Amino acid sequence: MEEESGEELGLDRSTPKDFHFYHMDLYDSEDRLHLFPEENTRMRKVVQAEMANESRGAGDGKAQRDLQEEVDELVHLYGLEDDHELGDEFVDENIPRTGVSEYPPYMMKRRDPAREQRDWRLSGEAAEAEDLGFGGWGSAGQCQDLREAYRYTHGRASEEYECYVIPEEEDEEEAADVFCVTCKTPIRAFQKVFDEHKEHEVIPLNEALESAKDEIHKNMYKLEKQIIEMENFANHLEEVFITVEENFGKQEQNFESHYNEILETLAQKYEEKIQALGEKKKEKLEALYGQLVSCGENLDTCKELMETIEEMCHEEKVDFIKDAVAMADRLGKFLKTKTDVEISAQPEFEDQTLDFSDVEQLMGSINTIPATGSSVRVCWSLYSDDTVESYQLSYRPVQDSSPGTDQAEFTVTVKETYCSVTNLVPNTQYEFWVTAHNRAGPSPSSERAVYMTAPSPPIIKTKEIRSCEEAVLICWESGNLNPVDSYTVELTQAESPEASGVTESVVGIPTCESVVQLQPGRSYIIYVRALNMGGPSVRSEPATVHTIGSYFRLNKDTCHPWLTISEDGLTAVRSERRTPARELSPSDTHFTRCVAVMGNLIPVRGHHYWEVEVDEHLDYRVGVAFADVRKQEDLGANCLSWCMRHTFASSRHKYEFLHNRTTPDIRITVPPKKIGILLDYEHSKLSFFNVDLSQHLYTFSCQLHEFVHPCFSLEKPGCLKVHNGISMPKHVTFY
Amino acid sequence: MALKQISSNKCFGGLQKVFEHDSVELNCKMKFAVYLPPKAETGKCPALYWLSGLTCTEQNFISKSGYHQSASEHGLVVIAPDTSPHCFLIGGCNIKGEDESWDFGTGAGFYVDATEDPWKTNYRMYSYVTEELPQLINANFPVDPQRMSIFGHSMGGHGALICALKNPGKYKSVSAFAPICNPVLCPWGKKAFSGYLGTDQSKWKAYDATHLVKSYPGSQLDILIDQGKDDQFLLDGQLLPDNFIAACTEKKIPVVFRLQEGYDHSYYFIATFITDHIRHHAKYLNA
Repeated sequence: MEEESGEELGLDRSTPKDFHFYHMDLYDSEDRLHLFPEENTRMRKVVQAEMANESRGAGDGKAQRDLQEEVDELVHLYGLEDDHELGDEFVDENIPRTGVSEYPPYMMKRRDPAREQRDWRLSGEAAEAEDLGFGGWGSAGQCQDLREAYRYTHGRASEEYECYVIPEEEDEEEAADVFCVTCKTPIRAFQKVFDEHKEHEVIPLNEALESAKDEIHKNMYKLEKQIIEMENFANHLEEVFITVEENFGKQEQNFESHYNEILETLAQKYEEKIQALGEKKKEKLEALYGQLVSCGENLDTCKELMETIEEMCHEEKVDFIKDAVAMADRLGKFLKTKTDVEISAQPEFEDQTLDFSDVEQLMGSINTIPATGSSVRVCWSLYSDDTVESYQLSYRPVQDSSPGTDQAEFTVTVKETYCSVTNLVPNTQYEFWVTAHNRAGPSPSSERAVYMTAPSPPIIKTKEIRSCEEAVLICWESGNLNPVDSYTVELTQAESPEASGVTESVVGIPTCESVVQLQPGRSYIIYVRALNMGGPSVRSEPATVHTIGSYFRLNKDTCHPWLTISEDGLTAVRSERRTPARELSPSDTHFTRCVAVMGNLIPVRGHHYWEVEVDEHLDYRVGVAFADVRKQEDLGANCLSWCMRHTFASSRHKYEFLHNRTTPDIRITVPPKKIGILLDYEHSKLSFFNVDLSQHLYTFSCQLHEFVHPCFSLEKPGCLKVHNGISMPKHVTFY
Repeated sequence: MALKQISSNKCFGGLQKVFEHDSVELNCKMKFAVYLPPKAETGKCPALYWLSGLTCTEQNFISKSGYHQSASEHGLVVIAPDTSPHCFLIGGCNIKGEDESWDFGTGAGFYVDATEDPWKTNYRMYSYVTEELPQLINANFPVDPQRMSIFGHSMGGHGALICALKNPGKYKSVSAFAPICNPVLCPWGKKAFSGYLGTDQSKWKAYDATHLVKSYPGSQLDILIDQGKDDQFLLDGQLLPDNFIAACTEKKIPVVFRLQEGYDHSYYFIATFITDHIRHHAKYLNA
């Protein structure tokens, strides 16, 4: 049949080869085979028309000439393009149109579908050994031609295509190119027919490759997910690790100070008792000594008398009688005085009772941590054996510089060697010194010890909290006049307060703000503490954060003088009256030309979604801008801002999407009342939606090398309201 | 109805097939292209119908528009019938005047059901597209009959708009590339309608998108239209989108109309924005 058609059309044999050379498209050779029949149909039409025209004997020489030109043109055209849509070629207007009109309708022969069918069989199972020897088209030869054509037209090194020069049949015998699913091995095509794979299921090798690749990709995806999970878990563990360390530190400190207290108290008691014993000893010894002395005196007197009497015995009779009478008197008197031979002091000491009750009390109070900003526990000890009746503890705040004002000095009198001082000013250094007092007077004062009171708790600025689904930015006031060392942020999840023994802490924050990573779709309660040498403050008042959508407020520091921002930071109003422009400071944080205000979006990448409620007749601009956009220009007039602009004039709504002063030409038939804005850092896109209709309006592609903030501008009096904390609606997720 | 597969090619994980069958409405053999995304192997997918423009067959769209990747990702079955059926040439269909102009007759069915002789036997593309083809597709392919959308280019854009406007609720969404929005007032439309529908202009309005919008009672439609600014036919006054937009603004039918700088009427223009259109439909079909 092909031969028939070949004879009919002299052009047939030659033109296909031409087509090979001029076809510079991406189709496989199989597809190309498909297209030939149609083109040949058209070609046939051309020639048929030629013949028909001749047979009609069209006397219109002009028509013939035109036709010839047209045929040439068509050959040229069909050679270059497989383009059937004549609409495309209107630029070369006349030729195709009038060309077609000349052709009588041509009867499609039945064999065309048949031929198409055969061609399809060829293209389908090229691997099959059948039909390779198929005549008419001489497919093997055809394919060879095609491959050579590829070499020529694509101008590649022939080395790459060496293998294609070998005829098809031999190729297939050497390479495995189908896959036996049953045996899970690649086999050669003919094996399917002849070998043990006869009964097995076979699929083309490409398919098998594809499915194997898919499997691997799936597993890779799972592995990637797992990697991310484990990394997150490791980070979490680190945080908990730090918290454990901190808590340990606190406990250690506390235990140490209490233990020291107890030891000191015990030492004190020991001293006291020893002292008392010593005194007792002295008393006894003194008493005994006294006795000893009087004994000695007695002895002396006795001995003296004895000597006198002995002397007397050696005297003359007359003297002896005189002295003897005197001595007898003396002796008599002496012997009358009683000699006290009772020992005045007993050698034994009483048993000492030890009173440890206050030590016990101290041991019982070991669990309280004395960490407040307004009290301090001071201890001291005595290094000598002196008697002490009381101690006087004096203290005053430490002066930094100015010697002028003398800070008030306070004094406390105690009997113990420790004292809790209260009513102190937090976060302040105090110096303490002690003097001991007894009957004789005060001792010289001790060296001055410096203690620092713990700071007051900070105050979270709840109105300035900004958050998104993955993080929150909190800022706070220090709560202390003087600087502290650092801050700690503590957060717990709000849903399960009992179960949440887990409090995450972020420690060592140097400034009064912090960005904390969170999980999406949860609620958190956040506290802040201040920390200095004296220890941590108590927790601040809590703040609550919900990680749904993005939260931000309009920044009053940026708003144009003609705009008023509501208390909750979500509504901007431009009133009818024009307030006279205030004298603004040179720092250009305020918009001066565009009556606009910026929102404070959390500086975290990812995606953010918010909505703006507007009036249909309001002239406004809504969009985003970099923080350092020039405030003297309109939104969208420079390359640092993008916005959607609506103007309503003469009952017509006009919409523009401005960036760098340019806008695409877009018409919107239903004016939106609520505009959804999606900011996607990941894909560098900013999209606008009509929320009520779930209709997508426009998307900018924007290079966001830094963080941007939402911007809103009112070009006429009116108001617009921002809605926050909204989860991205489903229709938005398509963008 | 017996379907005969003409071709099948794997593309982006799915299959681009072409089938042929005997059409009842058109009284001849019809071809259509259907793309089955990978998702169709495991379940029913929504269906998206593409209507081609003047002189096009099912081949233009599937070869040149580059829609496969997007259709594969969103899991949509895309059907494109042959708008210039060779069958218009068979069956005694040696209709005089059929091949006289490329914008009337073969390849220019205008998606109407012709009422005039000699066209009324074969030129019933409106019924084919809205009735016969969907029934055929629903019966033979893994599609969800409740989720269907339609779009097209030029004359096909006109076809998509009128099919959606004349059948409120049948299509979940509609979009168009450089559609003929107001055929009653443009040279193409006047020529086609007078030939197919006769001289009674009231019958013409039933196939004119701008007129249909004015009396559209039905459910919310979200229409996306892309138009090349350098399109010769726009400048020739054949397309008339302003009229359509004005009517939609009046009746509050949501339309986003984008005039694309530098683009013309060709398939290069279609290929540039086809992804946006497929995503537009996926939003409603996959909701």
